[in-house]
Amino acid sequence: MPEEYVKFDLTDMKNFEYDMKRCVRCKGCKWVDHIYMPGATYSTRCPSEKRYLFDSFSAWGRLRLALSLLNGRIEFNDRFVEAIYKCQLCGACDAGCKRNLDLEIGSALESLRIKCVADGFGPMPEHKAIAEKIEKEHNVFGGPADNRDKWAKGIQTDDKAEFVYFVGCYGSYKMQGIPKATANILKATGQSFKIMGSDEYCCGYPLYSTGQIEKAKKVAQHNIDTIAKSGAKTVITACAECYKTLKVDYPKMFNKSTSDMGYQVIHLVEFVADQMEKGTIKFKNNIDMRVTYHDACNLARMSEPWVYWEGKRKLYGITEPTAPRRKGTHGVYHQPRNILKAIPGIDYVDMIRIRENAWCCGAGGGVAEAFPEFAQWSAEERLEEVDEVGAAALITACPRCKDNFSKAINASGDNIKVMDIAEMINEAIK
Amino acid sequence: MDLKNELQKIVGAGNVLDSPEILEEYSTDNGIYPPGMPTVVVKAGKSEDVAKVINLANKNSTPVIPVSSGVHFQGCTIPYQGGIVLDLSNLNKILEIDPPNRRVRIEPGVTWGQITDELAKENIRVISPLLPHADRSVITDYLEREAPVVPKYEFAEPLMTYEIVWPNGEVFRTGSASVPGYPDSPAKGTNPAGPGLDFYRLPQGAQGTMGVINWANLKLEYLPKINKIFFMPFEDINAAIEPIYKIPRVHIGQEFFLLNHVDLALILAKQWPDDYDRLSDILPSWTLILTISGPPRRPEERIEYEKEALFDLKKQYFQDMPILEALPGVPGGGRELIHMLRKPWPKEEVYWKNRLSGACQSLFFIARPEDAPSFYEKVVDEAPKYGYPLEDLGVYLQPIEQSRVCHLEFNMFYDPDDPIEREKIRIMNRELAQDLLDMGAIFTRPYGDLADMVYEKATSYTTALKRVKKMFDPNNIMNPGRLCF
Amino acid sequence: MTIPQAAYKVLEAIVGPDYISQDPIDCEAHTPGPNGFETDLGVATILKSPGCVIFPSTTEEVQKIVKTCNRYKVPFIPISTQWWSGRGAAKVEDALMIDLKRMDQCDIDDKHMFAVVGSGLIYSQLQEEAMKRGLYTTIPGGGSQVGVVANHILYGSSPLNYRTCIANRRILGVEWVLPDGEILRLGSCALDKDDYLWGEGIGPDLRGMIRGFSPGWMGSMGIVTKMSVKLVPFQPDKPMPVGISPDTAVELPLKRINWYNFILPSKDALVKAMYEIANAEIGAGLTKVPLFWRAIAKANNKEEFWELWDQESEETVAAMNVLRVLLIGFTSEKQLEYEERVLQDIIVKDLGGKQTRTKPTDESWVKNADSASMWMMCGGYTSLEFDFEAISHAVAKGVDCSKLKKGYTPPLMKAYGDQGWFQVGDYGHLALFEFLTYQDPDDEQKHKVDEWSVALSKMNIENRYYTAQLASHKPLFLTGPAYGPDYHKWMIKFKEEFDPDALSNPPGPADTDLFIQEAEWMQKVKDWPAPKIDANKNPKFE
Repeated sequence: MPEEYVKFDLTDMKNFEYDMKRCVRCKGCKWVDHIYMPGATYSTRCPSEKRYLFDSFSAWGRLRLALSLLNGRIEFNDRFVEAIYKCQLCGACDAGCKRNLDLEIGSALESLRIKCVADGFGPMPEHKAIAEKIEKEHNVFGGPADNRDKWAKGIQTDDKAEFVYFVGCYGSYKMQGIPKATANILKATGQSFKIMGSDEYCCGYPLYSTGQIEKAKKVAQHNIDTIAKSGAKTVITACAECYKTLKVDYPKMFNKSTSDMGYQVIHLVEFVADQMEKGTIKFKNNIDMRVTYHDACNLARMSEPWVYWEGKRKLYGITEPTAPRRKGTHGVYHQPRNILKAIPGIDYVDMIRIRENAWCCGAGGGVAEAFPEFAQWSAEERLEEVDEVGAAALITACPRCKDNFSKAINASGDNIKVMDIAEMINEAIK
Repeated sequence: MDLKNELQKIVGAGNVLDSPEILEEYSTDNGIYPPGMPTVVVKAGKSEDVAKVINLANKNSTPVIPVSSGVHFQGCTIPYQGGIVLDLSNLNKILEIDPPNRRVRIEPGVTWGQITDELAKENIRVISPLLPHADRSVITDYLEREAPVVPKYEFAEPLMTYEIVWPNGEVFRTGSASVPGYPDSPAKGTNPAGPGLDFYRLPQGAQGTMGVINWANLKLEYLPKINKIFFMPFEDINAAIEPIYKIPRVHIGQEFFLLNHVDLALILAKQWPDDYDRLSDILPSWTLILTISGPPRRPEERIEYEKEALFDLKKQYFQDMPILEALPGVPGGGRELIHMLRKPWPKEEVYWKNRLSGACQSLFFIARPEDAPSFYEKVVDEAPKYGYPLEDLGVYLQPIEQSRVCHLEFNMFYDPDDPIEREKIRIMNRELAQDLLDMGAIFTRPYGDLADMVYEKATSYTTALKRVKKMFDPNNIMNPGRLCF
Repeated sequence: MTIPQAAYKVLEAIVGPDYISQDPIDCEAHTPGPNGFETDLGVATILKSPGCVIFPSTTEEVQKIVKTCNRYKVPFIPISTQWWSGRGAAKVEDALMIDLKRMDQCDIDDKHMFAVVGSGLIYSQLQEEAMKRGLYTTIPGGGSQVGVVANHILYGSSPLNYRTCIANRRILGVEWVLPDGEILRLGSCALDKDDYLWGEGIGPDLRGMIRGFSPGWMGSMGIVTKMSVKLVPFQPDKPMPVGISPDTAVELPLKRINWYNFILPSKDALVKAMYEIANAEIGAGLTKVPLFWRAIAKANNKEEFWELWDQESEETVAAMNVLRVLLIGFTSEKQLEYEERVLQDIIVKDLGGKQTRTKPTDESWVKNADSASMWMMCGGYTSLEFDFEAISHAVAKGVDCSKLKKGYTPPLMKAYGDQGWFQVGDYGHLALFEFLTYQDPDDEQKHKVDEWSVALSKMNIENRYYTAQLASHKPLFLTGPAYGPDYHKWMIKFKEEFDPDALSNPPGPADTDLFIQEAEWMQKVKDWPAPKIDANKNPKFE
């Protein structure tokens, strides 16, 4: 009778050997949910597999490679490392698999990256460079740590507030319009908040997602401590990456559950949707525009709380106690759409691949840094979809998505407007 | 020992025939092609005889020409290279009727006349082609892929499984009839596919070149008791095309086809030739014929909703198209067609295609219904060049599988006893076929003169066919000279 | 573990460097297993990693690749989705895997109801394109993720075959690169390479030679690069998707399409209902599913499944005679109303059945089929016995399979005497029977599953049942003499004629024979004569 003891500890790939072994190559990780299959085009959701074709660039192929690594059939080499990192970790595969088979693909892939780094083969040089910047200045750009709250000059914050606004590197250093808009929105609803200033370190997404877990843990611990010290119970963010990292990856790194973290993480869109229900936010301005919304992976299918588990896996793979499965069902899908639809004048249209089936912007998982051409290719594919539905503007809820789409638009000369949803809301309430 | 003696040992002396009169009889068929004399005629009395005869023929490198019922129109049983004509008409047993599984197993000599009456006793039928000859072999018709007159069944293909003697003499059962011990088995022979390969398609359209069928299973359908018939007249064939696409696509009706006034008059005329003369004058140029029938349960209700849907279609798409329950000027309004269509052409009457001049050459192919008018125009343009009177041109369009395609047939009538006329028809048939082929007509079963021109256009297919044929018929004994063999 | 470098250079020149690799990492990733359809069975022990992987984009490229393989004697295996993963791998070293996923053409002729599809296109894609045009295809049991071309070549069975016949009879024109690299076109494309309208002929019909039944040549008779497949008329209201994963479904336009569930008082009554419904020519699907599928449908995970399934017994399973009927108002809403009345007459009035609740949605068969969830319960799943024959054949065979299964349980999952899945095809002329095999792939007794597979073959021969599991999927030299008889001789003749060097996925169709020859644990059940199989050569008779 097969029986083993396993846990959701990503530092040991063996914990996910079952998942590697049980892949049946149905390619639910690749295709859009067949119920939602839109036809002969826009039919897949894995950028890596579509761009590079080889199975080594697919979830099923990577699972096979990870298993073969565990079994000693293969070793790390340049091609293997390339295959590992030419992936946005967008979670499409994980959500797709859990429609039928409940395999922990996302965790297995993260675990593979952690091993790749631990064995000295990863991450990519560009990821190491970012790690150095984070170590030195606590942000991905290497800008002075002290400049982190420069955007907030003139913004009223409240040190006693229960809300702490986690701004993130992109908002702090590159896209300051987003935090400014966020602050305005909070103010408009009467919600007091504070920021962490230079005590806010990069959330650690660029570290954790590239397998640099030890470094990620350091920044995570710092941020956890800072939040705890601040006394805030709720962390609000307008960045999908920060959101998912604080909510999901922090507990994961420390073998805890989201509910054990002592704080709650919410994204701005959750907050605004809540305020809409309460009637404390009003969209006054007419915005005459046909817009569509891009589901940022980290806010959407990957954002469900993390639940740590350990236990037995018995005959037929039955777990005891029953293992929790994050299926991507409860991602933040409706709130941003409801907000956009409520703004007067907006003609909202969904793209073809949405929610759990959405196509990644291409930036995640360290791809934008190490393989910018691939990141741009992925963004272009998504922008074609924007064109297909005739939207004039693409709204995102993640500065990384906005950044990547903007680069692709600049390169192509397209005239699609890209906006963060914070900016759009801010326009509407002015 | 000579061939005759050997054959007599197999089938008995009385069944080996080689008198000049008999050989003469088997040297021709009901078509345009010249005769060819067989060496000997063998009448198989039981299916075991077939393999024995074929094995003997292989040993002697003698051609074998299988003949099922003796009613043939396209020359494919004429023994141009001599050899043994293997007459299967005595293999005429209905071996099993299995109403629950809606299947009938018959021998190749079973005719439409024979089977229709037998099955009608149980309120079932094999869907037939349009008014087949009563003496024509049922199996041959579907081996030759005649188009069923009912295009409603998505699954189509009435033929299911069979026992075949390959040209190399091996006996083989296709599909699910391949189980050990068949028919004494839970497997009934209802699945055409397999074993290993889909052998069942190979002898189809093969004009007897790929083996001899000992028996076959065919699908049965219910025989409707309550029916309605509708006639949709058109003066221009173009106007008939959209109804041809739209009506079967929403699952309305059973029999459904288009005839021109010549073919319809040939079918409806009772008193020959007066009725024909009158009908061919008064009938509309084209008539689309549709029957709506009730199945065993709640038949009236079924007819009602299909009829309503038909008139909804008319309202939506063809407001100007009359839908008549009777043909004006036709005794009985032509309603007797309902019953005629469920039976072969009456044995006592001259076959409808032979009524006008004694014989008929049918030129037919698969086409898109929407292309039918241009094919028709081409024939209308060309026929007079051969001195053929257009007023005698029969046209039949049979939609297949809800009109995904159609069988388009031009009927050219001639006097079989006039050799000049016959030759003229042969030339016209060949040259028209070439014209139509160039226009995209899909001749899936090229008979006689058509074989060369069609295979010439399909070179890679021809090469592959020859390779396959050689595997099954290494001595090329089975009806040699047909198709590309 | 590579192909000859001279061959590699030629191949690279054909497709370009981005579309070919012999890197061991890429080759390893393209090796199926350890789990998947048949990959968790003993037959997987003969599978090899490819020596090279290539992605052609056109028929011309495929042709050049195959010709190169012939020139350098490189064995090749074509794959489209590789869903049948236990077979989607080479059985010989240093083979070229030709992955056809880039060839995903889908051109639909609405008026003449066919789609010309490339080998990379899958069913849900085709179904969506068809339904946009008021047409449909049938989503097979293999799942909506399977390749349309490959599945039509194999079987293509679905509850919706009730009206449409199984997919393998819906093949029209075909473009086929033979094992020697010559292009053969079937049907109307034999006359005009761009006309995919029709499938017959010319003259004798070679479609049956291409596909093989069953389960087809599985890549050992060249490569089909393009095929036109029949579509059939649907009703006008397109079912729309609803829900979020994993609970997604299409919402049915209930005045036009609806599923109906009935519980019949006995199995006999259920079978009688099938015959009567088919004879009345109503319905669009008619199926009796294995009871454990109900538990799968109710459970959110495998643990919940087992909680439900462990409550069953031989008695409860025997008592559950559930018939699912799909009605579609193709003609009008009134057709649906009419068919509902006939259904009530047959099942409720005549046979004493009871109607139970059904959802107003469809999770499986209209747009989707979750074959992957078959692995959810036990981790291992294969369909080791299925066929298409009369309804009465399905019923009898279910009883015998169920009896035989007891001797192999465990490692097979206990099924409390469940007698399989059967459904009606071609308005009752046919029924699909399928007996599903579930087991834990890590079970120490797993070799008994291989023995079970052979035992099923022997049972079929002994009891004179038909089976779709022939050729490469059951021992060729055991089943060959029994069926036809000697269907295997013809298959081998075809191989010798068209692929004398055994380059197209060798040693097909004798894969299972090779496995049995190599597997020590199979020797105790191998009691039939067979020649020695050489993986690199066509099988020969001794």
